[in-house]
Amino acid sequence: MGSTAKIQVNARNRAYQFEGDCGEKILNLGLSNAIGLPYECGSGTCGTCKARLVSGDIADRWPEAPGRKYLKLKKGEFLMCQCTAESDIEIEVESFVHTMEAGACVPSALKGRIASAKLLVHDVMLLRVELERGVDFDAGQFMLIQFPEVVGFRGWSMVNYQRHAESLDFVVKKQPGGKLTEWMFSHECEGLDVELFGPLGDATFYSRLGKNILCIAGGSGIAGIMSILSRAQQDGYFSQYNGYVFFGVRTMKDAFFLDELSDFSDSGGDKLEVTIALSEEEAPSSAMADYPHLNFDKGFVHEVAGRRMADRYKDIRAYLAGPPPLVNGAIGMLLQARVTTDNIRYDKFS
Amino acid sequence: MSWKKICTAADIPENTLGQFEVDGIDIVVANFGEGFRAFPPRCPHMEEPLCESAMLFDGMLTCTKHLWQWNLSSGEKLGAAEKELLLYDVKQEGDDIYVLVEEELIYEDDDEEEDVDDDDFFNAD
Repeated sequence: MGSTAKIQVNARNRAYQFEGDCGEKILNLGLSNAIGLPYECGSGTCGTCKARLVSGDIADRWPEAPGRKYLKLKKGEFLMCQCTAESDIEIEVESFVHTMEAGACVPSALKGRIASAKLLVHDVMLLRVELERGVDFDAGQFMLIQFPEVVGFRGWSMVNYQRHAESLDFVVKKQPGGKLTEWMFSHECEGLDVELFGPLGDATFYSRLGKNILCIAGGSGIAGIMSILSRAQQDGYFSQYNGYVFFGVRTMKDAFFLDELSDFSDSGGDKLEVTIALSEEEAPSSAMADYPHLNFDKGFVHEVAGRRMADRYKDIRAYLAGPPPLVNGAIGMLLQARVTTDNIRYDKFS
Repeated sequence: MSWKKICTAADIPENTLGQFEVDGIDIVVANFGEGFRAFPPRCPHMEEPLCESAMLFDGMLTCTKHLWQWNLSSGEKLGAAEKELLLYDVKQEGDDIYVLVEEELIYEDDDEEEDVDDDDFFNAD
């Protein structure tokens, strides 16, 4: 077996051929060749990247991946994000696959080092990763990151936004029972080397969008929204369009980025509204006094958003981020408000 | 080939779905306001269970996993959907809903999954 393999992908509209290292995931090889292979989470949970093996040999790097429940094993289906080519292979995907646009941020593998790991609240930290080289990404995209200490790539959205970013900020929430986050919250992370792949994701904001934007996020889902707001602020987007941001947490003790969100709201003027939705308590009056540029409300964030948005959905693009119940609840709320599916964007990854 | 009673209209309030079994075949019935539709229980995209993940209003069925949609009044697929929704014939007599079941409707490429040793397809690492 050589160290590189030729890969042919037969999609519904055409075939693609490329080559790559046998140690690289098939999905990553295709994406880094600017081929828009289907995916969503990139980390083995959603099943979207499933393909059928026509010929050749592959290796499954995570046989316990939850996304394997979507596979028809009898037909030779596998997850492109978890498998590598062991020989030249021919595979088939069901969907239409197109090459990425010229000027798109083509994903690639890169290395980084944890420059800082700062606790924001008791179970959320802000991680800064300095990269070996600058990277371009769209606001709202995410990176797959792997720590050598705990095998497996996780997807985290970038909090910051800049061209040719030499460092990336991520929000990491401690997941009960989560191997990586439990490790991160109990060990010194600064100085660790990490591997990254990206940027990934289609739930992106760009200033030519020309629509009002609605952002509904829960917990660590606020990360990508911060990147969107950074981009929008840099381009003076809210001098022309409206922005409605709803950030849900359980209590004030769990709320973070309030200073930053307050600054966005202040600089966005009348056209940007930012609301903090507390699901388990009323906001204390001190919060409202400390953050006069933020609204506070009680309830689940998608319900608060539905109540406060009322019928202000004209010309809107919605960005959703958070745990599946939040995203599903928000989708339902938006569809009932007659927002069309092409204006509802989200990345579902755990 | 025969009409089989699957449920009553009262079982499925407007803009809801319910899953029932007829002759061993799972079928979802949807009340879209103007009437009823019956279809296989899983989304033709990635087999998401529609009773868990689909929303129904304004005559549109939406699977919330990837937002595939169908107009239940006309039957046409909408937006992101790349496959048609297979439909069983349905009729209502009084309060009873009947479906015409010749055989189970199966999307092309769907097969019964068998227990297969993963080593048939993967080299162990």
